[in-house]
Amino acid sequence: MKEITAIIRRDKLQPTKAALAEIGLPSVSIQSVEGRGKQRGDVACTLQDMDLDGQTCNATHVKIKPTPSTYALEHTLPKVALYVPKRLLTIIVSDGDAPLVVKTIIDVNKTGQYGDGKVFVSTIEDAKTIRTGVTGTEAVA
Amino acid sequence: MKMVRAFVRPEKEQEIVLALEGAGHGSLTKMPVFGRGKQKGLQVGPVYYDELPKTLLMLVVEDEVAGDVVELIEEKGRTGFIGDGKIFISPVEEAYTIRTGEAGL
Repeated sequence: MKEITAIIRRDKLQPTKAALAEIGLPSVSIQSVEGRGKQRGDVACTLQDMDLDGQTCNATHVKIKPTPSTYALEHTLPKVALYVPKRLLTIIVSDGDAPLVVKTIIDVNKTGQYGDGKVFVSTIEDAKTIRTGVTGTEAVA
Repeated sequence: MKMVRAFVRPEKEQEIVLALEGAGHGSLTKMPVFGRGKQKGLQVGPVYYDELPKTLLMLVVEDEVAGDVVELIEEKGRTGFIGDGKIFISPVEEAYTIRTGEAGL
């Protein structure tokens, strides 16, 4: 069995759920989380603003013109880590279904802009349905 | 790749995240959680707290740097008192960036 952990945009949750229902694997756990990626939570960062190494953002055009008060704000407050609200989906499926689920999630969530999210796949050893006591792959089928 | 899940004190989260960013591991997901550990919660006078708030940090990193990340979280998250939290590491086989559809972090 495989555990698929997907971190996606909030507004893509409903389309993703619909697409998963369409391929016949509607079971999903959803959590509301906050996260940051390579752009460190800077939502103004676009593809053109990134350095060649893909690690630092140079979004200069969105910065407002510094005034004494904004300058003071930037230089006196301690640095804080920024986060973007996301939805975390956890889906557990049999080994055979995992590639299809990953492909579906990627297809539905792709917008081409930063912040589309990540999909992780890891192994689950066993599963059990509490109501019936069924174990193994049948429990997630 | 390894998934590192760290249950840390909520007040230590900013310090840990900024330290991780400084070390080049800026990408993570956080969520607020409630739980209890070996001490089964906390008793302050007559008041008993069964579940305590923690922050769960979830990072997926390459195998080579997993040790460094754990060490950094440990160092920054430690106060020496009970309730500092736990770190769990599990293997991740595949990772995909949705924007490009490519495999890898």
